[in-house]
Amino acid sequence: MSLKGWKEKLFQRYMIWSCRPSRVTKHLRSVLPHSRQPEPAGRRQIKVAALQIELKLFKNPLQYADEMHRLVREAADQGAQLIVFPEYNNLALFGMLPGIEKMEKEDLREKEAKAGKEGKGGASVQGKGDDLSLADLFRYISPAVKPLVHTIFSQFASAYGLHIMAGSYALEEKGEIVNRALLYGPSGDLIGSQDKVHLLPMEAEWNLKKAASFNVYETPLGCLAMPVCMDATYYETFRILEKSGAEIVLLPIANLEEYNYWLALRGIWPRVQESQVYGIKSALVGSVAGFTFTGRAGIFAPLEITPGQNGVLAEVEPFDREAIALAILNLEALNQLRSNHPWRDSNQQLYKRYFPEIYEGKDH
Amino acid sequence: MRVAALTLAGIKLKSIDQYQSGLDYLLKGSGIDLVVLPAYSALLLGLETGAITNYNDFDSVMRGYLVQNEDWHNLFLNLHSSLAAEFGIYLVCGTTVEKPIGKNDGSPADCFYQTAYCFNPDGKICGRQRQTHLTHDERELGFSRGEELNTFTAGDLQVGLVVGNDARHPEVGRIFSLCGADLLLHSGALKSGLNCWPQAAGMWAQVQQNQCWAVEAQLSAIIAGKILGASPAVIGPCEITPGQSGYIARGYPESSIVTAELDEPARQSLKKNYPLLRMLSPHAYSALQGSRNR
Repeated sequence: MSLKGWKEKLFQRYMIWSCRPSRVTKHLRSVLPHSRQPEPAGRRQIKVAALQIELKLFKNPLQYADEMHRLVREAADQGAQLIVFPEYNNLALFGMLPGIEKMEKEDLREKEAKAGKEGKGGASVQGKGDDLSLADLFRYISPAVKPLVHTIFSQFASAYGLHIMAGSYALEEKGEIVNRALLYGPSGDLIGSQDKVHLLPMEAEWNLKKAASFNVYETPLGCLAMPVCMDATYYETFRILEKSGAEIVLLPIANLEEYNYWLALRGIWPRVQESQVYGIKSALVGSVAGFTFTGRAGIFAPLEITPGQNGVLAEVEPFDREAIALAILNLEALNQLRSNHPWRDSNQQLYKRYFPEIYEGKDH
Repeated sequence: MRVAALTLAGIKLKSIDQYQSGLDYLLKGSGIDLVVLPAYSALLLGLETGAITNYNDFDSVMRGYLVQNEDWHNLFLNLHSSLAAEFGIYLVCGTTVEKPIGKNDGSPADCFYQTAYCFNPDGKICGRQRQTHLTHDERELGFSRGEELNTFTAGDLQVGLVVGNDARHPEVGRIFSLCGADLLLHSGALKSGLNCWPQAAGMWAQVQQNQCWAVEAQLSAIIAGKILGASPAVIGPCEITPGQSGYIARGYPESSIVTAELDEPARQSLKKNYPLLRMLSPHAYSALQGSRNR
């Protein structure tokens, strides 16, 4: 199957038309509040929300916008100043493709089972339908998704006066697909983005392009960074972000695996302890077309500044349904801990001896 | 390979003979190939046997120990060399304070290190590791940082020694693993009363991101009023442990010993199917070498 026939090209034009900013803006104008200004962010305490979204397919982009708006409104109504959406937040827009569930169902189930057997924890999505990969589908819908996502999250951020990390999206960029997280500020501007650096084997098979650096963005809420899912498997990500000034690390995930407490613990939680930052994990959960995603969205902090000394400020209970985690972050407490820490140390001589050469030329 | 982690709980330490009898009781005929003792083992045994002067507070004890420890250091190492040979095992004796004076190994003369040693079944030193990351208190006492991490062979496995506070620094496990370590042996001593999470943030996390094994020995003792006690454990990658917990065996602070068999073919199979270290992205790590605030 190909996406290059005239029918497919025509349908792509239709999708781009139906997702066009003027149409979406007109729709949102009727539902969004008029520039609601939350309390200005102080450096002492900020309220944050980690969303756990149950994956549903949307045929109509305006319905997708309404759903995203419902989630933003719910978090904003509870006082959140920063809202974090999950990885692959554009999977829901596969619903725009006619017959997508039927076309992919059986094959994707098979692929998922294989991935599970191979123990590919921290997985995202995978699958091929004949000669058509998910990467092909991401590429196909990308020209419609990009303006849609920008329009809706930009307008949500400005209407509610919030910072919103819109989740990550598989987008086409100069002919290549990247898994990109997007951060919007209260003026509606795109503050920054982060492409995924560490790919799953299946993402590598799709030829997703890896990023070569990690970004940190200074905002009134603090210095924010947003690596993507698998990036949190490696301490290097958070160490580099910490050294670059990050105070709050936002992590969108979409784990394609059965839920297990310990497997789920392996990502952001230990990274927060190693690097002494705040961590916010948002999760895509639920089942679509044979895929089952699990996770528990949560907000994490160094052990020393969590009430139970367990590194958890808030964590949702279900691993397979929609939920929201809310918590207050105290950046002064974090910086005090960092500046007078009981066990943190740095050994420059050791690092100079081994880094970066140790990573090169070895068969691990 | 069958491995064990000890806490020294329940072992009488008033004399060297008592200590030997205690280890004998736990280890002889147990089929254990490799044993790890906790940190501060030399200090504790020295205090209990009267070889080291006791004071009322931990800092004074440590300062006194640093001044007078040379003879005890040698005696302690000789003792564990004999024990390793007697039991026919690899034995990590925990930690002692190493002063490189006159050893001509390039270390400054006034340095001292928290160092762990491993003896092979012939009683010879097969591994020595200086602690590379210090706690705030250790810096105050004047300890120096080791600047190398060296692996060695124990049986069919490559091994690295993770000393004290190094458990909380992921650079250590990563360097060892990229140097080929299959197994990390940790001598630790954490204050009593903590929950399980500081340990999970240490060796458990290092094991999960490197897909190696770890044997974690934690001291259970009171030294000059300082109560130390945490759980000994044998840790592996989640996928090949019961309940996917990452723990093959896990005790309580009052447990004398935990033991476990390492299923190396299972670990190799996991690494082949899901090669975490091959999925590193070194092209993005140039910032790792720069400085970091403590």
